[in-house]
Parts: sequence; structure tokens; C-alpha cells
Amino acid sequence: MAANTWQRLLADRPARIAGGVLSAAAIAAVLAPWISPYDPTLQPDPVALRLVAPSWHHLFGTDPFSRDVLSRILHGARVSLGVAAGAMLLSVTLGAALGALAAVMGGWVDSIVSGLVDVLIAMPRLLVVIALVATFGALSPWWLIVLIGGSGWLTTARIVRAEFRDHLQREYVLAARALGASRWRLVWRHLLPAVAPQVAVAAALALAAVIPLEAALSFVGLGIQPPLPSWGNILLDGTDYLTSAWWLVVFPIAAVTLTVGSALVLADRLRTAIAGEERAR
Amino acid sequence: MTRRLIARALHAAAVCAVVATSVFALLQFAPGDPFATALDGTDVPPNVRAEWRARYGFDLPPLERFAHWGGALVRGELGYSASRHRAVAEVVRDALPRTLVLVGAALILGFAVGVGAALLQVRHHGRWQDRVLGALTLGGVAMPEFLVGLLAMTWLGARWRIFPVAGLGSLGDATAWPLWERAADYLWHLALPAAVLALAVASRVARHQRAALLGVMREDFIRTARAKGLGEWDVLLRHALPNAIGPVIALLGLALPSLVGGAALIERIFGWPGMGLTLFDALLARDYPLVLAAVLLATLVAVVARTLTDLVADVVAPRRVPVP
Amino acid sequence: MTRRFALAVCVLAAACRGGDARSGGILVVSAGADAETLFPPLTVGNQGRAVTELIYDKLADIGPGLNTIGDGGFVPKLASSWEWSADSLTITFHLDPRARWHDGQPVTARDVQFAFRVWTDSAVGAVQRAALATVDSVSVPDAHTARAHFRERTPEQFYAFVYTLIPLPAHRLAALADTALHDAPAVRAPIGSGPFRFKSWTPRATLELTANADYYGGRPRIDGVVFAVAAQGATVAARLLAGEADFLEQLAPPDFKQLPADGLVRAQSYGGFDYAFVQFNVNDAAGRPHPLFADRELRRALTMAVNRATIAQSVFDSLARPAIGPFSRTQWTADTTVRGIPFDTVEAIRALDALGWRDTNKDGVRERAGRRLAFSVLVPASSRTRQAAAVLLQAQLKTVGVQVTIEQADFNAFLDRAHRGAFDALVGGVRTSPSPRGVRDVWGTPGPSRGAQNWGRWSNATFDAQVDSALAATNTAAVRAHFRTAYQAAIDDAPAIWLYEPRMFAGVHRRLTTTALRPDAWWSDIAHWTIDRAQRLPRDRRALAAP
Repeated sequence: MAANTWQRLLADRPARIAGGVLSAAAIAAVLAPWISPYDPTLQPDPVALRLVAPSWHHLFGTDPFSRDVLSRILHGARVSLGVAAGAMLLSVTLGAALGALAAVMGGWVDSIVSGLVDVLIAMPRLLVVIALVATFGALSPWWLIVLIGGSGWLTTARIVRAEFRDHLQREYVLAARALGASRWRLVWRHLLPAVAPQVAVAAALALAAVIPLEAALSFVGLGIQPPLPSWGNILLDGTDYLTSAWWLVVFPIAAVTLTVGSALVLADRLRTAIAGEERAR
Repeated sequence: MTRRLIARALHAAAVCAVVATSVFALLQFAPGDPFATALDGTDVPPNVRAEWRARYGFDLPPLERFAHWGGALVRGELGYSASRHRAVAEVVRDALPRTLVLVGAALILGFAVGVGAALLQVRHHGRWQDRVLGALTLGGVAMPEFLVGLLAMTWLGARWRIFPVAGLGSLGDATAWPLWERAADYLWHLALPAAVLALAVASRVARHQRAALLGVMREDFIRTARAKGLGEWDVLLRHALPNAIGPVIALLGLALPSLVGGAALIERIFGWPGMGLTLFDALLARDYPLVLAAVLLATLVAVVARTLTDLVADVVAPRRVPVP
Repeated sequence: MTRRFALAVCVLAAACRGGDARSGGILVVSAGADAETLFPPLTVGNQGRAVTELIYDKLADIGPGLNTIGDGGFVPKLASSWEWSADSLTITFHLDPRARWHDGQPVTARDVQFAFRVWTDSAVGAVQRAALATVDSVSVPDAHTARAHFRERTPEQFYAFVYTLIPLPAHRLAALADTALHDAPAVRAPIGSGPFRFKSWTPRATLELTANADYYGGRPRIDGVVFAVAAQGATVAARLLAGEADFLEQLAPPDFKQLPADGLVRAQSYGGFDYAFVQFNVNDAAGRPHPLFADRELRRALTMAVNRATIAQSVFDSLARPAIGPFSRTQWTADTTVRGIPFDTVEAIRALDALGWRDTNKDGVRERAGRRLAFSVLVPASSRTRQAAAVLLQAQLKTVGVQVTIEQADFNAFLDRAHRGAFDALVGGVRTSPSPRGVRDVWGTPGPSRGAQNWGRWSNATFDAQVDSALAATNTAAVRAHFRTAYQAAIDDAPAIWLYEPRMFAGVHRRLTTTALRPDAWWSDIAHWTIDRAQRLPRDRRALAAP
């Protein structure tokens, strides 16, 4: 059944476009060192060449340090998408594991996980992350992944727990258990594949949440440390020149919005595909 | 019902206790000093700092301080905010209503606009109206709120001078204006920050509401209603919406914490000194009693809102449709 | 060009004071921070000082020449005159009999005595208590005479006393315990003696003052002052650019690009007391030398490799000058003829090579005995300009094979690490006071009497001795000479790379005419600012309707 969901998704045009945009961004991130016109940290002349409007030499213009904005956005994709993908993987894995654990074990394990979810979901994530970074100093990208990923597993855990509990009541599971299949074998062979599309939805949503979070951290001055470019700190450089240097604002916003939008569309279409599949069944 | 409420209340109290303890523990590891610096970053001489620390009991061991603080909390006291030379309760009394107004306005406005947009989209499913609104709501979710706020503030406020840039009201002799004029002025200043937050709410609501409506539209009772010869709008408003709005209301309750988080930056940008800005400032000043009070309050509001929206969703739409 | 024109207009306006005393109108000041308290002994930041000094008058105020030695140039305020005893250990202040608290009570010598007690009581914890260390007591021969008794003669004893101590209303506050003074209602809604009365305060939003019609120095020409507070830098500037505010203390470099084309706002230049630098951590808290920066020659070589002019120009355009040494050009002891370390990459490379720092493994970073020439620079996240300076510095040092990591920290964490000495280097900034004495706290060898803010714990005997001699001298030429030697010693020893001195530009609405802005206190003469009657705005409506 899950396999059919994936086929439905592939047949869907908006999903293919969104997937294409995301893949393009990922390819740009991987190839950044080879396709960037300049070194993203190079400051050719921070006095004469600062804030130059887009031209053939600098397609996206230059920033306040005379660095090439296009090169910075390409390299920034590496950092921003890297952190986003890492945090997304972490939060989805953590969420799926905890959700599955809670649903399968039940009892006090379930209580603890659900309680943890209740506590964390009541706290504003943005403020919690800002608070942690503000108090412990700006973090390396790896720690940022741990922090953002570690605070974002709630949704996945809720979804997986609910789906698992639903499936655990279904006939095929009851039948398999009656035949003596172990719980964990069931989880691995049947339940996980069955909820995979739902987890994929959660993953796409997690990706969509993480990119703006990184930007917000940069906005308060505690994101990725210079000179490493990220979409967030490119935007931060632009916020000083909102009315005087549009190229510092428009291009990074476009990068963020397109990626996040694509992730959201993907999540949407996936949901539709799941619903369609369930109806068809 | 009463039993459920009591269970909920106990649960909320437990959540708050856990949050308070963990935040307090976390703050002990944070470097910095509540008396190190003024708001504009001038530093306080070390000898004076030592005197102030002693005065406010910050030289006690952490556990003892936690006991003091917890004891006072049980007696209904929130402690003293050293960064503002004021009781925490007074600070909160000033700031909380402002955030409630801002977030409340954003919720109501966003909810109404979001549901309206979704209805329009479903009514014109697959046509250009649906596509345009779909693109707009997608953009509304994808753009970080602080960016929209910053752009609105600089362009609509400072550059084109259509809206006031910031603040709770007009400056100058506005305090002497008649009441209705001051009220209008307040709303006028609320408009831009509330609209920016409402945009984010509306986009999320619209996307969920559209999906929920489309799910319901396939159900049999809709076919029956159409067969009875009802107009398409009647079918939508009378039959589809009541059955599809419940999960969206529940979603609002869940989304409240993130809305409060986003509101912090919006409050900062629009000079709206509510709880978000208070928490943000208190964090930077390491004003622990104020941080704890603000976090507790945010948690409490989130828990209460969730309970309320669950109840409302139950009342409005007893028949739950699975969230698409 | 326009700036120069604006300047000329303002000078003219200041010159032709007089005529109709009252211009009316409410001045709105856009501020980036709120006053933390309205109790003068406890104010720390500039914003708190601005508000309290409008509400409360001092005995005398520093003159436009900012002289701090003796009483030359000081302007009478609450004290209409004063005289020195023959041994200079006593100064007798004669209070202006017309001076009144805002509740109508006369300002008496008891208020001066009371203020002195509050300022020196450790239960209050007055921020500037150390400045009054040489004052023994204040006596009250009669109601309008206050006498300050000093323990020792110092050149700046008059300045230290009148610049720090603000008389407080004893009749309202004396009954309160000193520990209650932090937040008593009488402190939050103060009764002062100055040109403006307290009206209302909404913390983190607005603070309103109204003109004191009964002010003994003459009613202010405007009707009131409103401080509008916003935490976000962009918002603070936007308020002015939109015309919602009339005055902004300092325009940031990006703001200049956004000045409205309709001439609503102009920039007005005035002297600043700020300078910024990259400070090296020379010794740690226990006195152990830093593995890199204890080496004087390395500090000098790094200084040579940094193009300070480019940094100043890139970050500030033309709005800053490269800094020279541990002083600001606005201070009267400033000496622009001292020898700096020139920017010279070739010489820097040669010096680094000579010190044994060579890039043997060709990774772009120099090494010596297995240690890479790499260090971190701590920057406060609250300062965009210092962050920009760090980014430029990082790129410049990279070209000579030095690896710099930038660490941004929120200001509180920044201060914490600075105090503990937990950093390699940091981008620091100092706002000096009119007195040259502050240099002893920032750059003197850490100890009981000096170096409280010398985070890098740099120590230089020549510098300390020369600063001490300068501060003990009463003859201006001698003071200058000693400071010159001290500054030169500091520059040669390179405890820091001196980066830039921002030039201060206030943003001023075209309807507002200010008098000259004093570098240490732009608000000092607000009572004489005027708002053009023809350009009244809705926010002055009531005042407009009134005659």
C-alpha cells in the first residue's frame, strides 16, 4: 500500500515540480564550490566594490563587504540546507523512534513520552532555541543541528504514535501476533513501512520549519558565524539595507521561500496521495 | 466533564512544574550576570555588582534560591525583577495584556481570513482563484514572520508612511486626547503588527481548512445535500464547514506556542512591549525571576488555550473528521 | 554639502537665541534603550542619564569646553556661586535661592548633604560611588550653603564632585530606608529640580516629561519631551525617518543611505567620545601569559597587517576616522602627533617570518613549533558595526596567513567572558568621559586603583607611571606632555589594534532647531531647543490650540 502512495506522488505534477526545486537546491549546494563564480568569503575591495548592484560581473550584486552575493547564496545553500537536512533527519528519526516506542510499549514508557511531548509542545520553540543559543553562545553548525533537531521531534512522535496505535488494532497485526510474530519484527516489517508516507510528510514539514528558524537565529545575531555564509546571515546583512540594496534582500528571500514552499507542497501532495490511497483501498 | 477539567488542570500544573524546574536548572549554566550591564550595554563596576547581587539574594547557592523562588510562587509572589527595579508581577501585569491583544487580534483576524480564503478556494476548486490563493497562502507560510514584519515596518511605515512605524500609540500629547480618539489611535498602531501575525495565521488556517473541506466534500451527506437542490454556497457553509472546522480550531490551539514565539520578534520590530519582548529582554539581561515568570506564563497560556480549543472543537463539531 | 549647510543653519540659530522664549511643541526622541531606573545614583546607561539629568539639576555643569581641571568653564546650576578654601580642601556652594523642587519646596543644602549620604551608602550601591572617594563629608552651615570637605587635593576634585553628585529631595526620600530607594514610588515618579518635570513612564515604550514653567533657569522653550523606546535598531531609525520622532542620538551608517529625499531629516555632526579596538588577551586572570599575545612583536606584526583605514571606511563610509591610540580625538588630552604603527603588509609578513611563524605545511596558516597562528575574536552580537569590523579583520589577516575565528556572543555573555579573561582577542569599544582619568581603568595594570576594565590584563610600567603623573599635574601643558608619553608607550606596545572613532551624527527633524550638542551629553541644553511653529504636527495639537 505504501508503495502505491509513492507511485501516486510521482504521478502528481505539483509534487514533481516541488521535488525538482528541492533537488535543484540540493544539487546547487553540493556543487557550490565548482559552480560559484567567486570565493564566497573573498573581499576584493570592501570600500569601492561594496553594495554594487547586480551586473554581468556580479549577477546578484555584492554585499557590504564586497563579496559576491550569488556565490554566497550558493555556498549558503550548503550550510542552510545541510543544517536543515541534518536537523530534519535527527528530529524525524528521534520522533519516529520515540513515537514507536510509546505506542508499542505502552504503559509508563507511553506516559513519559507523552508527558515530554506535552511539556515541550507548550514552549515556544523559537524562543527556546534563541534562549539556548543566547545563553551558551553561538553554535557550530553541528551543534545547531543537534539543538534544532532535538527540539523538533514532537510532531513526528505524535503522528507515529497515533498511526502505530491505529495499526496495532488492525486485523493483519492481530493475526500476525496470533501466529507468534514478535512485536519488534512486526514493527520493522509491517508497521514502519506502513507509516513511512506519514513520516515523510512530517519530514517535509520539519524541513520547512527549520530553514526559517535558522534565519531567525541569524536575525538576532546568533546564527551561523561569519565568514561561513548561510541564507540566514546573508539576509541579516540585507536587513540593514531594506530600502537601499534590494538585491541583498530579494535573492536570499527567494531562496528561502522557494525551498520552504517546495517542502510544504511536497508535504501537501503526499498527504493527498495517502488519502487517495486509503480511499482506493 | 468536570472530571475531565480537573484532570486537565492537574496535567497543566504538572507540565508547568516541569517547565519551571528545567528552565531554572538551565539558567544556572548560562554565563553572565543579571547585574553586569545596563540596557544600552554600559557595564557596571564589579564592586557595585557584588553589592547588588547580595541585595537581591543572588549570592545564595542555586538550590536555596530555587527553594526561595518556589516558596514565594506558592504564596502567589513572582519575585523581583532586578533589571527593571520592579516586582515581576507588575512587569507582567503591564506586558501580558498587550500580547493577549496582539495575538488575540491576529488569531481572530487570521482565522476569519483563513477560513474565508479556504471557502473561496473550495468553491472555485481547481480554477484561478484557487491557484492564486494557494500560492499566496503558501508564500505566507514559507516567508519567516520577522522578515514580513521588517519589510512592512520599513516600507509601509518608514518609507511610504502609510502606517505608524512602532509603539502603542501616538506620541506627544496623545495622552490628553478623548477616549475614543485614543482607542482609534491604539487600534491604528496595532494594525500592522497584528496584520503581519494574522497573515501567518491565515495562511496556515487556509491551507488546513481547504484540505479539510475538500475531504468532507467527498462524503455522502454532501451529495445528499446537493441532491436536495441546495446552492453550492449553502452546501459549503451549512453542511461542509461545520463538519470540517473542528480540526482547524484544534490546530490553532497547537499553533499558539509558535505564534507566541513569532510574536516575540514582531513585538521587537514594532516596539510593542508585550510578553515576548519582555522574555527576550529578560533573557539577555539574565533576569532569572522575570524569565521564569514569562516562560511559566507562556506555558500556562499554551496549555489553557489547548484545552479550550479542544473543548470548542468538540462543541462546534462533535463529529471528528481525521486531520488530513 | 547639505550637511555643512545644515550645520551652518544650526550655528546661526544658536547664535541668535532670545526673542520669543517659548516655541512650544513636543520633542520626540527616538531611543534604542529605556532608562533602567529614574533614580540618579543607580542609572548606568546613557538613556537613564539623559532622563534623570533633565529632571534633576546638578550643582554646576561642565562647560562646552569640557574642561575637567579646577572649576574653569563650569556653569552654575543649583549652585549660583562657589568658593574654594585656601588649602583647596573645602569648596563652599551657594545655592540659588530661586531653585525649587517640582513640588514647590525650595532646594536646600540639606538636599546636597542627603544626596551625598545616599551616594556613599553601600546599601544603595551607587554606580559612580568611586568618583566621590576623595570627598570626606558635606556640611550645612545654613539652608542655602553646602560645604564639601575633601580628603585630598586633586586636579579634578571639583569635576568629580559636581559631575557625579545630583542633589536629591530629602524632604521626600529621607524617611525611606536606603534599601527601599531602588524602587519606591517616590523614585519611580521622581520630583526633581531640573527644567523638565516627570509626567509618565510606560517602561520599554514611552517616557514623558513636561516643561517646568517655574524653572529657576527660565522655562524651556519647548513644551515637553517624549522618549520613544524600541529595541530593534531598524525601528529606532525608522521612527525618525518616518517623521514620528524629531531626534535620534546617533545615525548608523546604513541609515544615511535611507535619509528621505524630501529633506525631512538632516544629519547634525557633533563630537563623539567613542573609540573601538581589537584587544589582545595578554595575560590571563592568574597572570599567566597568553600563548600568542604575550609576545609584543607578534602583536605589532598583526597590527601592521591590518588596514585600519579600510575598515573604518568600509564600515562607516566617511563617518569614522581610524583610531590612533587609547583615546578619542574629542578628549582634550588627545594627541594626534603620536607615532602609530603603519599599515604595511610586506613588513608584517617579514616580521611574522622573523618570529618563526611560517606556513611550512602550505595550508594557508602559519605555524611555529606545532602551534598554528590561529585565534578567535569575540564580538558582541548587539553591535553590527563591531561584527562588520571583525569580518573585515578576518579577511585581512587571512592574506598574511593568520586564521581568525569570529565568535559572536550576546552582550551579557560577552562581558562575562571579558571579565573572566576567557578570550583570545575581542572587538571592544569605549565611550570615554570628559575626564582623561578613565584611561587608567581601561588600560592601566589591573590592581586596586586601576585596570578594572583592562580585560586583556596588559601591563606597562611606563604607561601607568605617566598616566599617574598626568592625573596629578595641575598644569595643562604638563598633563598633555605626560599623556603624550603614556599614549606613545601604549601604541608602541600594541595591547590592541586601534580600529576607528565613529563621528557622531544626530538625526534631526527639519522642524527642530537644536543648540550645539555636547559630546558627553547631547541632552544638556534641550531647554534651549526650539520647534518651528509653522511645522507643528498633530502630536503638538493641544499646545497649538493653547495660546
